[in-house]
Amino acid sequence: MWPFIARSLEAATIFTFAGLGELIDQRSGILNVGIEGTMLFGATFAFIVTKTTGNYVLGFAVGLLIGALLGLLHGFFSITLGVDQVVSGMGIWIFGFGATTYIGNPYTGPLGMKRLPLILGLSPFFYLGVLLVVVTWFVLAKTSIGLRVRSVGENPSVAEVSGINVTVIRYGCVTLGGMLAGFSGAVYALYYNPVWNYNFLMGWGFISLALVFFSMWNSYILYAGALLFGLLWQLSLNPQFILPGLMSRYVWRMVPFIVTIVVLVLISTDWFRMRWGATKPEALGQPYHRED
Amino acid sequence: MTTFGYQLKLVRRATLPSWKAAVFSILAVLFGLVLFSSVFLQAHVDPIAAYKEIFSYAFVNTYGLRLTISRFIFLALVTYAFIIPFRAGLWNIGMSGQLYVGALAAFGVAYAFGGRDSSTIQLPAGLVIPLMMIAAAAGGGLVGGIAGFLKGRWNVNEIVSTMMLNFIAFYLTSKMIKEGGVFMNPGGRGESFELPASIRAPTIMDVPTTIFLVLVLVIFLQFLFAKTSLGYKIRAFGHNPMAAHYAGIDTGKLSVLVFVMGGAFAGLAAYHYFGAVPGVFKIPRNYGYFGDLAFYGIICGLISMGNPLAALPVAFFFGGLSIGGRFAQGKLHLGFGVDYALLGVLMITLVMFQFFYRYQMMWMKKEE
Repeated sequence: MWPFIARSLEAATIFTFAGLGELIDQRSGILNVGIEGTMLFGATFAFIVTKTTGNYVLGFAVGLLIGALLGLLHGFFSITLGVDQVVSGMGIWIFGFGATTYIGNPYTGPLGMKRLPLILGLSPFFYLGVLLVVVTWFVLAKTSIGLRVRSVGENPSVAEVSGINVTVIRYGCVTLGGMLAGFSGAVYALYYNPVWNYNFLMGWGFISLALVFFSMWNSYILYAGALLFGLLWQLSLNPQFILPGLMSRYVWRMVPFIVTIVVLVLISTDWFRMRWGATKPEALGQPYHRED
Repeated sequence: MTTFGYQLKLVRRATLPSWKAAVFSILAVLFGLVLFSSVFLQAHVDPIAAYKEIFSYAFVNTYGLRLTISRFIFLALVTYAFIIPFRAGLWNIGMSGQLYVGALAAFGVAYAFGGRDSSTIQLPAGLVIPLMMIAAAAGGGLVGGIAGFLKGRWNVNEIVSTMMLNFIAFYLTSKMIKEGGVFMNPGGRGESFELPASIRAPTIMDVPTTIFLVLVLVIFLQFLFAKTSLGYKIRAFGHNPMAAHYAGIDTGKLSVLVFVMGGAFAGLAAYHYFGAVPGVFKIPRNYGYFGDLAFYGIICGLISMGNPLAALPVAFFFGGLSIGGRFAQGKLHLGFGVDYALLGVLMITLVMFQFFYRYQMMWMKKEE
């Protein structure tokens, strides 16, 4: 049972990193529906670099870097060019999916390296994830930087008048968000499942996106959701833990996706929506143009 | 930006004449192709020679052209599946899921008539083929309708829900065609049974008759958007959902309707792919591939800006590009996934060019 739980926590960690990145984006008013693309990019480049150099640190660094670049790209499209944020995010997803298929193909197969060591029986990224959840909450809720980020997400014109540089804050947030998504992909490809195959993420980015909607932009709720989905995902791979022999394994594989939809429906009910509406960044998804 | 007392100013466009939009679209594609040359260069292939291979195979070579036409029918249908919700401001990225279920429904009809047991069985084509098409459209429409209903009733984000439905439908297909599933090939190869020859869609000069579906649909859609109150409501909803709501449009019903229509078109695309394309009369093992192709529908829909008529040349061009890309990949010994990479690069340049659809750059005398 313990390996199963440890594995679920590893999966949850990946949702956590990607979800935290998206949460930070959205807090500043930028919606990035393309995190799946960013994760694919981060994962693929991290995998290639680690496989060719044999160095884990380099791989993770490249994952962070490529994520930051794609975050900047999304920022450039949606902040500077004022392109519809959904269009830009979709573009990044399809770009990631298409480009990594070609780039990663020669490296198809297992990583072939010793896995990173466990710390107290758990993945080292688990501890990093917990730390980041707390830090994100603290920074967003308790510091002046967090206040600035939130005010930009609520009402950019008012923020601008009160002396906050909306563009800088938003660029900062999308870059950081991209880094976390890229890193999350790198953790997937270098640690959770170190085998490259094209389009291997199977919707993890989109599930992370759903988790952010569910979280009411609170990193603790996000983390709870990530834990739930990590557990669900592992369960769908190993249904014999609960109900041995019941139903085809393909039916089990559908479960996390069905649950995502159910969760999205639940958070859309009136009870939830009242609370949700109050916490939603008011300017989410709207481009901001400064009046000169 | 200021130069010599002139200032570069961005002016938001109020309207964009369609010829200008077409020019920007063409420029975006050209720019994307130029950008993509770097991939050929990196693989030590002359880009001009590569594009020559791609285009001559796709549009000149008779065998390639036949494939292009077939791919065009597929892409036109998935583009329509994207366009209808898109005109209502909604994103249907669930074409793959709608395709899978549409295909399963069509195979269900063939199965019900005993088509699984032998590929030489004589079935009443005049009855089975229309039934298969109806079933495919209904299956796709059902999956689309789920997303539309969730959006209309509870405002569930349709991007996430359609994507989740894609994976659900993917595993549903696995369940049906693998490991002893109902539609599994009697040979046990992890793919579906082969459609009996007697119920394959007829072809005219090697062009599948499903091309008439596209021709009927383009007229229907043009009429829908230009002349009917439903088309007007869809457009109004797309422009401003709140205003549409206050104007008394039942927005919940509308979002179900556009997604059912979109899903039904995707279902027809599935029928085309498995019932009419010569050589693919079964759901093959790597059926994920044609689900990925459906994402070309997003690009085609964005480039044609939701215009059903403009979608036709766009789908034809991209059909050729994807066929030619696959061919060039084999011929020039490029790595797997050239066509995917092309899809990605074109998508990102298209996003970049969205800027020009929305803004106009003007040099203005700086006011002091």
